[in-house]
Amino acid sequence: MKTRSIQYAAVAAVGMLLLSACGEDSNSNNSAAVGSNGNIVVGSVNALSGAATFPEASKAAQAVFDQVNASGGINGKKIDYVVTDDKGDPATAAQSARDVVGSKNAVALVGSASLLDCDVNAKYYQENGILSIQGTGVDQACFSSPAVSPVNVGPFLDTEMTLTYGSETLKLDKICGFLEIAGATGPAYKAAIENWKKKTGKDLVFLDDSVPYGSPDYTPQVIKAKNAGCKAVYINATEPDGLGMLKAAEAQGFNDVTWLFLTSTYTEQFAQAAGKVGNGVYVPAEFAPYTDENEAANKDWRELMTSKNIPLTSFAQGGYLAAKYFVEVLQGISGDITRAAVTKALQEMKPISNPMVGTPYVFGPGSAHNSSTGVWPVKLQDGKWVKAADNWLLQK
Amino acid sequence: MLQGALAGLAAGGLYAVIAVCLTLMSRLVRVINFSQVAIGMFGAYTAVLFAERGLPQWAATLCGIVIGAIISALIGWIIAQWLPEADVSRRSAVSVATLLLLISLAFIIFGSKPKTFRPILSGPAFSLGDVVVTQVTVVMVLLAVLVAIACRLLLTKSKIGTRLRALSERPTTAELLGIPAKRLSVAVWLVSGLICTVAISIVAPTQTNDPVSLSFIIVPASAAALLGGFKRLDLAVIGGLALGMLQGALAQFEQLSILRNWVPFLIIVAFLLWTQRKEVWDVAR
Repeated sequence: MKTRSIQYAAVAAVGMLLLSACGEDSNSNNSAAVGSNGNIVVGSVNALSGAATFPEASKAAQAVFDQVNASGGINGKKIDYVVTDDKGDPATAAQSARDVVGSKNAVALVGSASLLDCDVNAKYYQENGILSIQGTGVDQACFSSPAVSPVNVGPFLDTEMTLTYGSETLKLDKICGFLEIAGATGPAYKAAIENWKKKTGKDLVFLDDSVPYGSPDYTPQVIKAKNAGCKAVYINATEPDGLGMLKAAEAQGFNDVTWLFLTSTYTEQFAQAAGKVGNGVYVPAEFAPYTDENEAANKDWRELMTSKNIPLTSFAQGGYLAAKYFVEVLQGISGDITRAAVTKALQEMKPISNPMVGTPYVFGPGSAHNSSTGVWPVKLQDGKWVKAADNWLLQK
Repeated sequence: MLQGALAGLAAGGLYAVIAVCLTLMSRLVRVINFSQVAIGMFGAYTAVLFAERGLPQWAATLCGIVIGAIISALIGWIIAQWLPEADVSRRSAVSVATLLLLISLAFIIFGSKPKTFRPILSGPAFSLGDVVVTQVTVVMVLLAVLVAIACRLLLTKSKIGTRLRALSERPTTAELLGIPAKRLSVAVWLVSGLICTVAISIVAPTQTNDPVSLSFIIVPASAAALLGGFKRLDLAVIGGLALGMLQGALAQFEQLSILRNWVPFLIIVAFLLWTQRKEVWDVAR
């Protein structure tokens, strides 16, 4: 009886293998990288669950593609948008990329937002001749790979710009620096600070790069900054850590200080949670400030997001822009829309301007990409983000 | 140096409270409760949810504390019901599962964006040099000392204390003698959940408060409890305060500040080596 059932199982397994092998064969025709129903398959790898999630970017991209599909698609072909979740886990991220690129045969990746997609998959994308218009590039690999071109400014350039704004526009001296280092991001942050030093001739009072992520209490750091006589503090903190820092400073009566945070804290929840304690926080917004309801550059984006119930965040701006740029490039392709054709078109594309960003977007053939180099300084005022400048601050 | 040490007192007070709870749980219900802080976190976050729905702050906080205590009691009941005779490691494994479950639940229910915690206590208590010692710090240190003293008195001077000790030494014998084992151990879980949620509810509004950061305060708190070998309440308090102050002091020096994240682990390793030394020597002989 037992042997019989093992035999059945073996036959079933062989059958399954054969079937899946056939499936693989019909799909692996790379040159015609379109879905079986003739649709254009576009992928994305996102952190949708786990410790830090960015669900808005792919939702925003989806909204743009839905709009395009509703108005007839690209040359009559619909866009099939495949959204995968890497769960903040490297192994799952690698699997997600292989699913999108290998099995689903996507022509490009658009609007991905993840902490480790680039780090894990950039090489794989390069080997497979597929390009990724990253909706939110976080890790260093997003800004140093031939296969990835993020639409956002990124934490490293953000660091340089926020320091430049602090020292040159706000005329702050005695800026102290704290860094939370995750993975191999240390050298990139330090290089950004070096760039700022070279361009402005200024220096930090000290740079402490040993601040742990999610430290329960930032009082020791605040005491250190207070004792060193810092007038401003730069830190690449995430939302909870930034709040922790502000609260510790308030408790220690360290009030006469300007905080130079990164765009990672630019959310309405952060502003609310910080309340009055947050006065004195400056952040370089990577897209036209969405917290200003009257900002004309965001009109179309705001309407689309509101109609689809997508939260208004920087990530949603990134995802929306990535999809917009991609659609414009697709519309310029004559002939079949295959992976090779899309890759070629992106590498040869002309820069696309959009009022939501300070500089035009371009993919191009370079070995590294960081085309977005403009930020809009915003500051916290009594629990609300307000514009701190009238125009973009561009990298010089 | 001294300033740094004082700056670390706030964290130290919290470590001490949790270390006392951990020691209590280890002594009385034979569990190293890894979900101790996660339970407090869950209670404190629930309070925020109630406050957002319009409940007054004091009522919301009270509800949060009750929920923390109930969750703790529930885990205690599960362990008392199904694993009454299991060894410490198996019972503790349940608390690891609970820790992960509570963190995941927190993300699902409360989301991953920062919550607006309204402080129950805020402002400075007094200043020492350039360092402001906050009310929260003072309350935490007092809470740790008071809980430790109260527990000691309860265990040595009261009838319940004698029963609890009997239960922790020989659970089956105690039950045969008519001691209500299950009820008593659930009560211990309930009380420790309550104390921990009170502590977290006070501390969370004044510091980094995402679910993961809060829950993992269990690591330095365990290191503090280790100093008392999960047996002595006084050493747990001293361990918590000393660890917080040491971390605060180390953060002030550029070359040493990276070390402070390692201190809890160094203490754990040193403790294990120290407790195992006799076995190694005995074998060597």
